[in-house]
Amino acid sequence: MGEVDPAKVEELIREQEARLRERTPRQIAFAERARRALAGGVACSWHALDPVILYGDRGAGAYVWDLDGNRYVDLHAGYGVMVVGHAHPKVVEAVRRRVGLGTHFAMPVEDTVVVAELLAERFGLPLWRFENSGSEATMDACRIMRAATGRELIIKVEGAYHGSADGLAFSYWIDLEQAGPPDRPVPVPNTVGVPPAYAQPLRVVPYNDLAAIERVLADEGDRVAGMILEPILMNCGVVLPEPGYLQGLRDLLHRHGALLAFDEVKTGATIAYGGATEWSGVRPDLVALAKAIGGGLPIGAVGGTEEVMGVVADGTMEQEGTFNGNPLSMAAARAVLSEILTPDVYARLDELDRALTGGLRAAFERAGLPAVVTSVRNRGSVHYRRERPRTFREAADIDDRLQHLAWLYQTNGGVFVPENDPWTFGVAHTPEDIARVVENAEAFAAAVAA
Amino acid sequence: MSTQGPVEIDMGRVEEIIRREEQALADKQPRSLAYQQEASRRLPGGVSSSWQTAPPHPIYVSHGKGSRVWDIDGNGFVDYHNGYGVMVVGHAHPKIVEAVQRRIELGSHFAQPTEDALVVADNLAERTGLPLWRFGNSGTEATLDACRLMRAATGRDLLIKCEGIYHGHHDALMVSVYPSPDVWGPHERPSSVAQTPGLPQSYVELTRVVPFNDAEAVRRVFEEFPGQIAGMILEPCMTNLGVTLPEPGYLQAIKDICHDNGAYLAFDEVKTGATVAWGGAIEAFGVTPDLACFAKAIGGGLPCGAIGGVEEIMGLVVRGKVEQVGTFNGNPLTMAASRAALTEVLTPDAYTHFDKLHDIIRTGVQAAIDRYRLPARITTLGAKGGVNWKAEPVREYRDALDIDERLSYAAWLWQLNRGVFKSPWAKWESWTISVAHTEDDARRYVENFESFAEAITA
Repeated sequence: MGEVDPAKVEELIREQEARLRERTPRQIAFAERARRALAGGVACSWHALDPVILYGDRGAGAYVWDLDGNRYVDLHAGYGVMVVGHAHPKVVEAVRRRVGLGTHFAMPVEDTVVVAELLAERFGLPLWRFENSGSEATMDACRIMRAATGRELIIKVEGAYHGSADGLAFSYWIDLEQAGPPDRPVPVPNTVGVPPAYAQPLRVVPYNDLAAIERVLADEGDRVAGMILEPILMNCGVVLPEPGYLQGLRDLLHRHGALLAFDEVKTGATIAYGGATEWSGVRPDLVALAKAIGGGLPIGAVGGTEEVMGVVADGTMEQEGTFNGNPLSMAAARAVLSEILTPDVYARLDELDRALTGGLRAAFERAGLPAVVTSVRNRGSVHYRRERPRTFREAADIDDRLQHLAWLYQTNGGVFVPENDPWTFGVAHTPEDIARVVENAEAFAAAVAA
Repeated sequence: MSTQGPVEIDMGRVEEIIRREEQALADKQPRSLAYQQEASRRLPGGVSSSWQTAPPHPIYVSHGKGSRVWDIDGNGFVDYHNGYGVMVVGHAHPKIVEAVQRRIELGSHFAQPTEDALVVADNLAERTGLPLWRFGNSGTEATLDACRLMRAATGRDLLIKCEGIYHGHHDALMVSVYPSPDVWGPHERPSSVAQTPGLPQSYVELTRVVPFNDAEAVRRVFEEFPGQIAGMILEPCMTNLGVTLPEPGYLQAIKDICHDNGAYLAFDEVKTGATVAWGGAIEAFGVTPDLACFAKAIGGGLPCGAIGGVEEIMGLVVRGKVEQVGTFNGNPLTMAASRAALTEVLTPDAYTHFDKLHDIIRTGVQAAIDRYRLPARITTLGAKGGVNWKAEPVREYRDALDIDERLSYAAWLWQLNRGVFKSPWAKWESWTISVAHTEDDARRYVENFESFAEAITA
């Protein structure tokens, strides 16, 4: 493989950024207006794309249109939410019907029970509660683990993002100089405004490192309530668990009377019918869900074993929220889980995965680019480095200018995909849509190699 | 008005009423009762939030229209619960239905902003006078952001909250929400009490607790922890003890104390925003905080949350010092509903309507209180109202301790069996009316209140 010329990458970035600006005059002007009343011109800090904030106009199936009328094949999927595709007729029908009957009572409706039943079947966990976001689901999962064990410590993986609640807002995209040695990371807050005291009941371990968990448990196992992790690390591209890792940590935790929670916000009902729980064959004590299960409506869910959820059932721990299980989100989730993301759809996604990852690998290899492609069915990513990463620190050690350039080629080439988050495709995508992604990657690779 | 003091209520009679009314309710709701058993196999307690399991049993709702809701047994109620104060627009309001039906066809979620987000932010800025906004998915997320921003802006860790106020279920503020007397500590320096198991002590200690309506207590905390307080968050009027108003000068005093000490003031307007007045509590009480948290009513019945603030604080978000993030934040469906709710339904006229209905309710209830010499007080503000079953005024949480819950529970059952659905856990909750409520709906509440007054004093 040849070396990438950084000067050339910068020149191409300038060229592509100029092209993007030319394509988006309305959005550039709208961002200026939006800054008056929306902090930074956006509703969430992640929306502040560089160099142009893209504003959504509409979506249909596999496509989204921005405010300038540019159409994209959507592999962003609203950060992995829209596995059902935009404006799926079944979701549209469910929402149109429900909104006419009232969307919110703060009292349970029958759909709430149906959705809980559907999730129980998928994840093999009997008892469920609902929330409004993944942040709320993982926060509840930690509180339930603490309440069920009477212990305080939570173990999390460095680089995993579990939502914005204070207790887990640590050691995600951080300055590694403050983060301690790779095998014994120290918790570093993701943002200012999170008190250091919140680090006290938190232990951070590297991904794919059972010895690190063993060490924590040996030192203070009788204080560990449990561990929360993304079974497949998905916030620094896709990083896969090594064989035996998930089963190994489950066994270790249980041996010490501690619990295991899977954060399946990104994987649940996405990479398999039963999410990463099914994919790995390892059943946790708790599962946190959000994103895909709502079909594009705000939602969160936490499910668990009878034993663990008993603290909620008997009222020991309050699990609450005004909008929890609201009829509109439940109607959409029911349609998604029972009518769209049915068991048969997942195998069909494999074919698109093969076309996409095969095409990308061939393009990068031909151009001699330092790039590794990792995917799990409909979620995947490229790390611009030579070796497949095993941990967050390896996954963060990439050529981020090359990554930015690749993103610009996709955006200008009519494919919307997160710059440093995994792609997601779903039931609406066609082989032609995937071919477009590969063509853009080929153009990018050829330009860098030229 | 009677010059005699309130009568002594015979609690034996109240308990008899509770028994009778619980039986009457059970007779009307066999499906809800049976359904709870079925639902409990998959949902702890048969519900999706612990607040939905209020005694005597959860009520499973089928649908709502205007001021009415129907349970799965087919019983209709005038809805004074309104989903814990959310449905100020009424159920299935045509403007909300239209906005949601139109938006869902165009896609409901992109994780990039849509034009509606700006319209909503502009409207909130106009109502509150606070210039910069961000969105979340719940009141919980909004108050979490407020705490983070005050801490980030000051570099300090401690927060002040009021005893007895609920600000959502995130860790920092699940402190002294409903503490019991055995743990609540001295009145002049209340203890910080974890509201739930599962809350690490190191979190709890960062939140200092003061009584509502007591500016001196706030001053004392600043003296005890000099240079360590990031800010104070409170409901400008407490809505969990009926409606407990701030005394004149209180809000301005705590704002001044916070600012004199280099700290900030955040209003939790999740329950008061766009309900107690067009401009929420900020308009009602004439004090503008540094940050305001909204949710509930502003979404028109869709999950929502919003935080607004002054440039000095929100600039941290603008400059990327504080990450304010969430996948569903500002999602197009919620924004579309919110736009319709704020610009087309909850217009200034709506608040005139609330005042008119609450005049009927307040006058009628007060007449009954006087006639039957009830140990009770009614307070209303905009769309919110509440009765406290106590003769003396409630100024803060501890004043409500000796309210006999049997009375408020009996009153709740009485209303429910006569077609008025108030929020459960009635000792703590106020009611909420909507733009769809009519004068008949208001009189229905009053009539039920009168017959209840007669029943407990007969």
